[in-house]
Amino acid sequence: MPPAVLDTPSTAPRDAAPATPALAARYLDALVAGDRREAFRIVLDEGLGRGVSVKNLHLDVIQPAQREVGRLWEENLLSVAEEHLATAISQLVMAHLYPHLPRRPANGRRVVVACVEGELHDVGARMGADFLEMAGYEVRFLGANVPTDSLVDLVVRERPDALGLSVVLRDHAPAALEVVAQAREALGSELAVLLGGPGVDAGLAAAAGASVFGARADELVDAFDAALGGRP
Amino acid sequence: MSAAAPPASAFEGTSREIAFTCDEQGALTWLDARAEAVLGAAVGTRLVELAARGTEAKVERFLRERLAADDAPRPEPWEVVLRLSGQTTVLALRARRYAPGGLAVTASLVPADYAEAVGQVSGHLSEMATLHREAERQERELRRRHEELLRLQAEREESFRAVLTLHREIGEKDDSLRRAGEVKSRLVANVSHEFRTPLNSILGLTRLLLDRTDGDLTPEQETQLGFVRQSAEALYALVNDLLDLSKMEAGKVGLRVEPVSVAALFASLRGMLRPLANKPDVELVVDPGTVDATLDTDTGKIGQILRNLVANALKFTDRGEVRVSAELGTRGKEPVVRFLVKDTGVGIAPDDQPRVFEEFFQVEGHAERGPGTGLGLSLARHLAERLGGALELASTLGEGSTFTLEVPVHHPEARELDSLRERSRVLAPGNKAVLVVEDDRQTLFLYEKYLTGSGFQVVPARTLDEARAAMEHAPPAAIVLDIMLDGEASWSFLRDLKMDPRTRDIPTLVVTVTNREDHARALGADEFWLKPIEKEWLLAKLRQLARRGPVDTVLVIDDDEVSRYLLAKSLEGTTYRVLEASDGAEGVRLARELAPQVIFLDFVMPNTSAFDVLDDLKRDPVTRGIPVIIHTSKNLASDERSRLEREASAILSKQSLSREIAIARIREALDKHGLRGGEQGKENAG
Repeated sequence: MPPAVLDTPSTAPRDAAPATPALAARYLDALVAGDRREAFRIVLDEGLGRGVSVKNLHLDVIQPAQREVGRLWEENLLSVAEEHLATAISQLVMAHLYPHLPRRPANGRRVVVACVEGELHDVGARMGADFLEMAGYEVRFLGANVPTDSLVDLVVRERPDALGLSVVLRDHAPAALEVVAQAREALGSELAVLLGGPGVDAGLAAAAGASVFGARADELVDAFDAALGGRP
Repeated sequence: MSAAAPPASAFEGTSREIAFTCDEQGALTWLDARAEAVLGAAVGTRLVELAARGTEAKVERFLRERLAADDAPRPEPWEVVLRLSGQTTVLALRARRYAPGGLAVTASLVPADYAEAVGQVSGHLSEMATLHREAERQERELRRRHEELLRLQAEREESFRAVLTLHREIGEKDDSLRRAGEVKSRLVANVSHEFRTPLNSILGLTRLLLDRTDGDLTPEQETQLGFVRQSAEALYALVNDLLDLSKMEAGKVGLRVEPVSVAALFASLRGMLRPLANKPDVELVVDPGTVDATLDTDTGKIGQILRNLVANALKFTDRGEVRVSAELGTRGKEPVVRFLVKDTGVGIAPDDQPRVFEEFFQVEGHAERGPGTGLGLSLARHLAERLGGALELASTLGEGSTFTLEVPVHHPEARELDSLRERSRVLAPGNKAVLVVEDDRQTLFLYEKYLTGSGFQVVPARTLDEARAAMEHAPPAAIVLDIMLDGEASWSFLRDLKMDPRTRDIPTLVVTVTNREDHARALGADEFWLKPIEKEWLLAKLRQLARRGPVDTVLVIDDDEVSRYLLAKSLEGTTYRVLEASDGAEGVRLARELAPQVIFLDFVMPNTSAFDVLDDLKRDPVTRGIPVIIHTSKNLASDERSRLEREASAILSKQSLSREIAIARIREALDKHGLRGGEQGKENAG
């Protein structure tokens, strides 16, 4: 399946756009410093405003910077509070990018994307939802920590073509299994389920009868396309 | 100083710190009482086992780095996430090597407190971001639907335009088809006509020869002449059928509707059909049974249809009978009579049944049964439809056929035309009569429809005689003359109309199917139009012609030019035409010559008095009947007034002149003289 290439031609020529690694480094600095304004300026003005595509901003600036924040916490260079602040800034930045998503024509598929109960890390799921939208999916993104009951209710009500669940911490895997079991009980096994996030491995996916999706948001789109039998 | 060690619970809720030691592998080697309670672990448990799933790396890193680190007075704190009693809890660990391979660790629970607060805040934030996203999504969805609606609307407009175009094209096709049909009908009509004349000669001449008017014939000659006559008769029948058919298609077949009883109809049918029965083994029975009703229809047409059916039945029946019978029935609520022609003949195969009504269709193998025009059944069906009825066929091959002619007891057009005639007898107030000479009822109805509400009223005339009678009764404001198929009589009618001084001024519109405009104009037609008639044209022409017609002429006798002008001006735009005379003598002369409908007479004129003029008008029979309205600015003396009231129709003061009053006075004057307002009243003048 060809990768979803969604870059819209921008007014600025491609070669005039700033290199994304440089942007990513400065963006990380802004996150670590907790400087919200600087972070916005880098992504929206220097990135989007100068011709860097939304997709590149996601994949090459925000995602690496967020990974780096995690690493810095692991290396004890950032506190939990600083990590939260950095994540909050990235979420706001993504919210501002959202209206600018270049979208393919609707492919007629509806999907629900959510973090399971207890799972507070929703940056990855949000990015995945954005990429699915760019690829033409109609996405209901429910955010972090969705209580199992509400999530199942919504899925039964909306009857999406696929359900995408994000599990960052392995401890939340049981909640994911519970959602899948209840949703399948109500809707039957036709409901395609995709699990993603660092907390998911092949064993969990097999237990849930789900496809796994990759670490990169664009791989996620491929996984959905494959699970739904290609674009209609 | 000694006291018993306090229980761990004594520090519960006040201390946020615990202490423990571990070895190189990170296994716990000692825990204080609170550490045991908080961690829920015992000696030997590896610290990394307590780490929240996914965060083990940081715990291992902490152990590795602290074991390798130099002793520092106050080591850096490490925040790690442990899973304690099912809850992920953030603790800040400070560790110092106290022996080779041994770490003394103090863990603070303070970060767990703030981590929870920060976690809640960022949870709310993430929720808001999600809501924001949802709002955006919904807005986009609304926008999408809006665009979808716009697109649908545009599509609808497009298809609407396409439908319009299609309609126009169909209209054009329709026109050209109709034109083609008309050309065909005209051609057939003309050609048939041209055929009839020489055929009549041939038939006449053969009859003369066969009657031996010019001497005897040899048997051989007689046989030959018989063949000539037979062929000519067959050809004549074909031509007649063709002519009938073309008339039918042109909608030109007139109906002569009259009441007749079924019994009487059958009596005359018997006489008419008997000569057709010429086969010894076939009996022709014409019997209505007990059926009796009074029909209001064209019996001639019924006879024509039945003759065709019976001739057809006899032709295909070799033995048995051909029976003509009748029955009563209804179609919807309409009472109908069904005439059945039933034979015991060869029958018609189901596939051929619908086709026998087609022109010139011949069932395979039937041709040898003798000559036929191939038009009989087609004509019969057309005639049946013309009578408002239908002609159906039921047949079984080898057993026989039954043709059923169904006609309404009362021909619908007959009723309509009667009521049209009835309506035309009384002219509605303000309406003008338009004599429409047209033999086709349908077309007459069309004229009536076109003229409804236009101020014109149709007086129908289906023959030239009817037209002449109607003209005698009351001259119309205009005549619409349809030149009928037998054109000559119509042309003569037009010529006579335009030669007669009494009628020559009546505007006449000639309507034909063939372009004879020059001829029509030469004979004096005021307007010419090729069928079909168009409403707008008809109304425009009638308005234009009827206005300048002689119908509503008003003569003003007044020496004052301004008075004349004012009166003419007040009647401008009405149907009244104003003639002017500046003195009594000229007025009387104009009145004699032009016979106006109304005269406005000034009371005071130099050299003449109104009474003199009135006397002159009364003396002449042509002008005696013309109503006179005295138009004056003088205050009349009582004797003058009473005399004028006797001799004139009305007295109108010049001061009160207005358009409304002038028209009202003219109407009143005409009424008083027994003439209807606005209608021609010339015969009273003459």
